[in-house]
Amino acid sequence: MKLYRLFFVLGVFLLSGALLCAQESLAPQGRVFVDFVSASKPVVSPGHSTPVQFTFHVENPYHINSSQPLVPELIPTQIHFSLPGEVAIGRMQYPAGKLMSFPFDPSTKLSVYSGDLVIRGMVVAPAAASAGTYTIHGELKYQACDNNACYPPKKLPFTFNVNVGNKGKSTPKARPTATSPHIHN
Amino acid sequence: MNKNVIFILCVVIGVTALLLVGKRASKPPDSAVNGSAQNAGPVHGPGDPAKGSVAPVFELKSIPDNKDVQLASFHGKAVLLNFWATWCGPCKIEMPWLVDLQKKYGPQGLQIVGVAMDDTDNKEIADFAHKMGVNYVVLKGTEKVGDLYGGVSGLPLTFYLDRSGKVVDETMGLASESVIEDAVKKALAGS
Repeated sequence: MKLYRLFFVLGVFLLSGALLCAQESLAPQGRVFVDFVSASKPVVSPGHSTPVQFTFHVENPYHINSSQPLVPELIPTQIHFSLPGEVAIGRMQYPAGKLMSFPFDPSTKLSVYSGDLVIRGMVVAPAAASAGTYTIHGELKYQACDNNACYPPKKLPFTFNVNVGNKGKSTPKARPTATSPHIHN
Repeated sequence: MNKNVIFILCVVIGVTALLLVGKRASKPPDSAVNGSAQNAGPVHGPGDPAKGSVAPVFELKSIPDNKDVQLASFHGKAVLLNFWATWCGPCKIEMPWLVDLQKKYGPQGLQIVGVAMDDTDNKEIADFAHKMGVNYVVLKGTEKVGDLYGGVSGLPLTFYLDRSGKVVDETMGLASESVIEDAVKKALAGS
């Protein structure tokens, strides 16, 4: 019985060691720069449009370029969607970037996002759209830096639901099978 | 209380503590937070060539002339191998320093090699390098070569190779001009 316990404890500690090594080896590539926080839950009638907003969070100590970086070589933050025929998204409104300079170049101001980032747009349902719930696949393209290094461009996939109601009715019928095509990285 | 319950509780607490320590270890280094160039320490990826080991060999296309260039062709010279990209602000800061170092130490056997990790076309990279007055070799990087050097998870990433091709130093993130020059001297002094 005592020998069994000894083997059990050794096994648990070996497993923990392996987990620790795995976590450390993933550290450089596994950094999280931006999280998808939430999307509003737009409800739209066929032939109409409604606002939608997406909230992301840029992790400290990183920043990402705004949608309109001041330096031409910098990669702008952009949101893209893969849409089913029943829904369109347009008129995207990115917030203005914060003008900041960084220790690597104090003389130059860059237009960046840090902390919470809210991107707004309009969901449009064509007049012929069928009622139902549509899962939309989106992707935030960004490139992050911190105070002394930059990291390769990344794509953050996310999903959200759009409810298309019946014409003249406010409550749409759920149709969970309708989804937009997946975006492949 | 049953001894077995206490034993299992101790094991669970021990494992939780180890996992918490692991989570702390996987956070970005402090140098990334305070931004001090002097504190910029290397972040080793899983396949990073270690100091003292021979740098992984590769062949890449040169920019702008699109010729095959092998790392081995610089054998006998000290090599500063700088991974960079046009979208990397800190890389841009280092470039004039590298230009000066190539001028100053080139006659003593230094060859600076910039490996551009951009996805853009060669012309954009060439135009950027021209604008920055680059006087050293620029190659178009590939993911495969990046993987040989630890995945190049952050830029700039610089390896300093001695005349026999061994890695004598490495910096990740913006290093100060003096740190880079000291590493160059070390590479030139190596075997």
